[in-house]
Amino acid sequence: MSRNEVLVDSQWALAHLDDPKVVFVEVDEDADAYAINHIRGAVGLNWRVDLQDGLRRDVISKSGLEKLLSEKGISNDDTIVLYGGNNNWFAAYAYWYLKLYGHQDVRLLDGGRKKWELDGLELVSDATVRSATTYVAKEQDRSLRAFRDDVVNAIGVQNLVDVRSPDEYAGRLLAPAHLPQETSQVPGHIPTAANIPWSKAANEDGTFKSDDELKALYEGAGVDLNKDTIAYCRIGERSSHSWFVLRELLGIKNVRNYDGSWTEYGSLIGVPVALGDEPGDA
Amino acid sequence: MSSCGAVVGGVSLDHVDVTTQAVIQGVVTKGGVPANVGYNRLHDRNDEFVAEVPLSAKGEFRFFAAPGQWTVVTLVPGGVVRTPVTAELGKIADLDISVD
Repeated sequence: MSRNEVLVDSQWALAHLDDPKVVFVEVDEDADAYAINHIRGAVGLNWRVDLQDGLRRDVISKSGLEKLLSEKGISNDDTIVLYGGNNNWFAAYAYWYLKLYGHQDVRLLDGGRKKWELDGLELVSDATVRSATTYVAKEQDRSLRAFRDDVVNAIGVQNLVDVRSPDEYAGRLLAPAHLPQETSQVPGHIPTAANIPWSKAANEDGTFKSDDELKALYEGAGVDLNKDTIAYCRIGERSSHSWFVLRELLGIKNVRNYDGSWTEYGSLIGVPVALGDEPGDA
Repeated sequence: MSSCGAVVGGVSLDHVDVTTQAVIQGVVTKGGVPANVGYNRLHDRNDEFVAEVPLSAKGEFRFFAAPGQWTVVTLVPGGVVRTPVTAELGKIADLDISVD
């Protein structure tokens, strides 16, 4: 997988706005952002409503995803270009999600909504209407997803990469600083996890850094890229951004996203936890 | 559980016990009027990025930090402004940021 196959810039996007086989999809937790305006022709996905099971904490089922994408007018052979706010956090989560269910051609718009907006490119408020399709998803590719037992067994054995901010890693914050701080989990991180905040992979305008810079970032933090890797954050979306960097941009094999992340791990009974700025021992 | 998605302008203080939070909030203006296109980023004491919110239509933003030194980095089309701020538990640090 090369950068050109998984990432597009605004020039490419502008040239494909009217391409019937390219579907732009905005993904935000804040549904108001899409409703206010969006890239012309884009459909919107609401992280909370569309991409969560609704009853239990899990991704939606294969049939649920098939229904969702069919209703959005997306076909199996479409190129899906995802973009969104928060430097593509949720767009990257949706990318991981679509790969989990086997969509062939998915890409991210480099810089997401923020760069598009700051560059003064066109956003419209017109509703997008696409004819319904019959989308057929594949079974989940479990090689992309880590569960809690995988994570516990990976302590001191595989690379664990905690992509939250240093204050969340150390236990000084329990949530990103644009949200009220929670008390439902204990503070800290999984022992032996390296702290490589997702944000270090992005430039200020939200675009991804170069492959050389990204490789240096992870290797400089002591991550052995020849070992299996599990990335986690708080709920699995920032770690999707880092998963995208490691697997899709750098082509590292055996990188999994732990979507249970700290909200699950920090609530488990009896698992080891490390506090402070150091990774801690296995 | 809150998601990690940034609500435009920041999460409302409704139903939030501010005595347990160290809030940094404010308004960004450009040319004397609210800057409604832009983003505020919060950097920690080591200048490490921590969070980002889009500005509301009224130029508003809000963060829930830990006590200590922070820097609010404002991105608007054509400009970047850095504003240092101290957050304290149970208090609201109010900022007026001008990007003229």
